[in-house]
Amino acid sequence: MFRPPALALRGLTKRYDNGFLALDGLDLEVPDGAFFGLLGPNGAGKTTLISAVCNLIRVSAGEVRVFGHDHDTLDARRLVGLAEQDVNLDRFLDVEETLRYHGGYYGMDRGRARRRAKEMIDVFDLRAKANVRAPMLSGGMRRRLLLARALMHEPRLVILDEPTAGVAFELRMELWAYIRRLHASGTTILLTTHYLEEAEELCEEIALIRGGRLIARDSAEGLRSAYDADSLADVYVKAMAS
Amino acid sequence: MITRLAERHRGLLALGSREAHRVLKLWTQPVVAPILSSLLFILVFGLSLGSRIHHVDGVPYDTFIVPGLITMAMIQATYANNSASVFQARFDRYLNDVLAAPMRSWEINLALSIGGVVRATLIGGGLLLCVLPIVDVPIREPGVLLPALALGLALFSSFGVIVGIYANSWDHTAFVTNIVILPLTFLGGVFYSVDVLPSPWHELSHLNPIFYLLNAVRYGFLGTSDVSVALSLAVTAALAAAVVAWSAWLFRTGHRLKP
Repeated sequence: MFRPPALALRGLTKRYDNGFLALDGLDLEVPDGAFFGLLGPNGAGKTTLISAVCNLIRVSAGEVRVFGHDHDTLDARRLVGLAEQDVNLDRFLDVEETLRYHGGYYGMDRGRARRRAKEMIDVFDLRAKANVRAPMLSGGMRRRLLLARALMHEPRLVILDEPTAGVAFELRMELWAYIRRLHASGTTILLTTHYLEEAEELCEEIALIRGGRLIARDSAEGLRSAYDADSLADVYVKAMAS
Repeated sequence: MITRLAERHRGLLALGSREAHRVLKLWTQPVVAPILSSLLFILVFGLSLGSRIHHVDGVPYDTFIVPGLITMAMIQATYANNSASVFQARFDRYLNDVLAAPMRSWEINLALSIGGVVRATLIGGGLLLCVLPIVDVPIREPGVLLPALALGLALFSSFGVIVGIYANSWDHTAFVTNIVILPLTFLGGVFYSVDVLPSPWHELSHLNPIFYLLNAVRYGFLGTSDVSVALSLAVTAALAAAVVAWSAWLFRTGHRLKP
């Protein structure tokens, strides 16, 4: 039976109002169930790509499909969970409310949203802070809440934009373990990171982008072989210099 | 039927209740403070000046100013609430959580307007309850009062959302309150009938959109107005339709909301 890819981008182009071309006719396909990494320097277009998939920017040209649905349809939106790079939590809500309201935005009824919020609070060890408002949380707790919120509505495609940036080593290990379990349960993961070892450790496939274009795509092993490099760091340096 | 409708629009209900929750969580500042300041206006202007002015349009002065003060408190509150809520959501970027969600653009627009309506209704109702023991305020034309208030709330809640979308700083939202809404409200005849103004101020007052809203609400309460009630409702409705359409366009196209 045909399974549409989790994500299919065709000729995706984004030129901002100031003239900056962030995505330049980018084509990319992420298979259903993949653990996919997106690497590139600042300004390469990673966050713009993610924003396009999640309807947070107006696309200039091209097509974005999520599990076969146009990305701006309600069906597509229900299937995607996003943890943004910057912590963007609602300052008026406590931890439990943040999760429950998010569930509501994604169409969950109150009972289901309450049960799922409790589950997420336990999974991410937020029980002691369940009634604390987001601005009062530590950096690590906010990062956990951000991830819990992205997973609240049980999306089939989870997009993690530098989820471990600025996170302590212990929490990073915890997040890695959780993300691995999530992937093992069949969820497709699209991860952007600046930590090359993170991409190598977690991702089955990695795409390198620069200047809004895809320049390479393979497994970590395949990329090392293609670039005749000993490590992913060497691949990255060579790819970005070429 | 209602259950199915609620199931179809759970996102709208969740975001709307989040907006109402925000008002109720912070109720002292956004609800009690405007009631107290409007009561002060009634005590200072109505009860002190009222003994000198006696009647306006056949109505005691302390009674005459109550509809205008209720209108002023309600429109300022709904505007301030929605402009602040939307600007904060943009500024802290938690609006992205809403924009990415499976909600239709009109649902987001409507839900973000609800907080201001809840706040204004609490203020209007609370103020009326506080005023009734002090001043005898009748509701002579509820069939005019309710649509007038509904149109005023639609106009200023959507206007608040629009300013929240366009604002680049907190100063911008306050600027509109201080430079546009407050002067137009005062000059629209909260404290006087524009019929007593000499030319050209009398004619110029008719260019003020809030003048029509104030007169429609005053007619609903007191049965008296400086201008035809049908014209007042028509002007307010036309302005509300234009502003709601502008707000709907912003959400439909993503202009200013999505780069």
